[in-house]
Amino acid sequence: MQLGFSFDISRCSGCMACMVACMDQNDLAGNGATFRHITRLERKASPGVTVSFLSLSCLHCGDAPCIMACPTGAIYKREEDGIVNVHQDLCVGCHSCALACPFGAPQFPDGGKMTKCNFCLERVEKGMEPACVRACPTKALGFGPIDELSNEKADRASRAILSSYYLNPGAEK
Amino acid sequence: MTQSPVLLILGNGGAAIHAVMASRDAGHTGPIHLVSDTSGPAFNPMLAPYFLAEKIRFEDCFPFGEDFYDRHHVTCHFGSPAATLNALNKEVLLESGERLSYDRCLVATGSRPTLPSIPGLNNSPRVFTLRTPKDTIALHQALSSTKHALVMGASMIGVKLAEILMGHGIKVTLVDVADRVMPNAAHPDCASHLARKIREKGVDLRLDSRLKGIEDGHKTMACHFETGQSIEADLCLVSTGVKPNLDFLDPDHVELDQGIPVDERMKTNAEELYAAGDISRGFNPVTGKKEIIGLWGNACWQGRTAGLNMAGSDTVYPGTIPHHISSFFGLDFVHLGNINRSGEDVKILANRDFSGGAFYLLVFEKDILVGVNAINTISHAGSLKSAILQKYVWSDYLDFRMKNPTDEQIDRILASFRTKN
Repeated sequence: MQLGFSFDISRCSGCMACMVACMDQNDLAGNGATFRHITRLERKASPGVTVSFLSLSCLHCGDAPCIMACPTGAIYKREEDGIVNVHQDLCVGCHSCALACPFGAPQFPDGGKMTKCNFCLERVEKGMEPACVRACPTKALGFGPIDELSNEKADRASRAILSSYYLNPGAEK
Repeated sequence: MTQSPVLLILGNGGAAIHAVMASRDAGHTGPIHLVSDTSGPAFNPMLAPYFLAEKIRFEDCFPFGEDFYDRHHVTCHFGSPAATLNALNKEVLLESGERLSYDRCLVATGSRPTLPSIPGLNNSPRVFTLRTPKDTIALHQALSSTKHALVMGASMIGVKLAEILMGHGIKVTLVDVADRVMPNAAHPDCASHLARKIREKGVDLRLDSRLKGIEDGHKTMACHFETGQSIEADLCLVSTGVKPNLDFLDPDHVELDQGIPVDERMKTNAEELYAAGDISRGFNPVTGKKEIIGLWGNACWQGRTAGLNMAGSDTVYPGTIPHHISSFFGLDFVHLGNINRSGEDVKILANRDFSGGAFYLLVFEKDILVGVNAINTISHAGSLKSAILQKYVWSDYLDFRMKNPTDEQIDRILASFRTKN
């Protein structure tokens, strides 16, 4: 089984609740490393601009490049749920994982050992949602087994397409 | 094939170990033979500086452990390197006289340090290199009695070693024939900032500087410069480059070109002969050329690719670009891709008035990012590397008249790439 996050960019209002919840859960300092990162995007539209937000953390990749790059074997993938985690006692702080990760997930508070999103392991293991998902007021963030998430996504997309044809009385002809 | 093929792996580094793991993961149940001139577990030379800096124990430099070979049912032929490889008969003769035949063979014999041809350098007991476990122990033992060290080669590892030696209370003279530090990794506009910082921290940095000769004395060695100056040092640590271990290969059997050219499956031009790691010239997807990219991570990916293909699967590795990240003298330094491009299609954006904080230098060719230097900002390093490999066109997102690319601007552009599709 592989756990994953889902993110619906059309629902994200950029409120940063996910980031704050993450910092609270993981005891991160307000001015230092964050495991979840939000970027404001502006795109030209006519008229004006379209603003959207991207909330990103470690994606717990299926074949995680950080694991291959680590010289000590400190980074590993849990068989039971696919969560990518780090043995901090093995980490030498070489930053190789930071170069391997295309998402900027690895963090090095105080220039020391690598730390990053671990999917709120202690919450998930007790049957709870990760803190960021729990805090998201618009349900832009979700989580679950990857297979279920992709089924849900396909389902939502099909509904959206079908409703535009038949079920939306407000739609202009 | 009715019988499981015999795999032979020459070498005992990251590429060799990952080839073993991958071929077992891919279901190869037949014999795997591994040949190495060393006789212990696989060593990661990248970790030696951390041991010398006393951040890890010596045994931590062997990340796969001693039981790796038993766990993966590998027959080890330790203590003797390959003497000749006959790719036509698929046979390897070891220096011990042992003869091994194979169905598929991986050459992952790595590289060794080279010494510049300076009189007195080759046979001095005070001259050290850093590559093997033996080198590491010898250098470590010498540190306690060293007051002044000469480090040759202001490469990334040379600078890192200078910092480590200083941490042991040793005075360091760092010499390079190039007119700037890290000539392959740092653009001149970036190298000048690094050199200033290195000097500020107390290193006697001598660039554009050549040694004429070395004379061993009773207690110290005299290092004579071409300018006529001399210094007395207790040891000389050479980090001026490496060369691939390919002396046992026959150019009539396999193509050799300062390394072994390989395709995306890690195949050489010889039948059933693969190469991976520091000996292989793999594909650089940005330049479109084959080159040696001597990085631990690259060796591991190449080894894995070779191992999967030797076990009968069909796997390609698209290759990588040169990339480095290192912390020294209180700086985090990043190098990606090719920073030494020139020509009318080349544009460079840089924080040229850098005095502290974050520094970016971005090299574009035809509006595509091809090289990066960064100081004291690492959060976008991996994303920028990915952007180079993806060959995104930046002109839609970036004003090339901009003088000071900031973290925030780069963050937005990278996020735009991510949400493009």
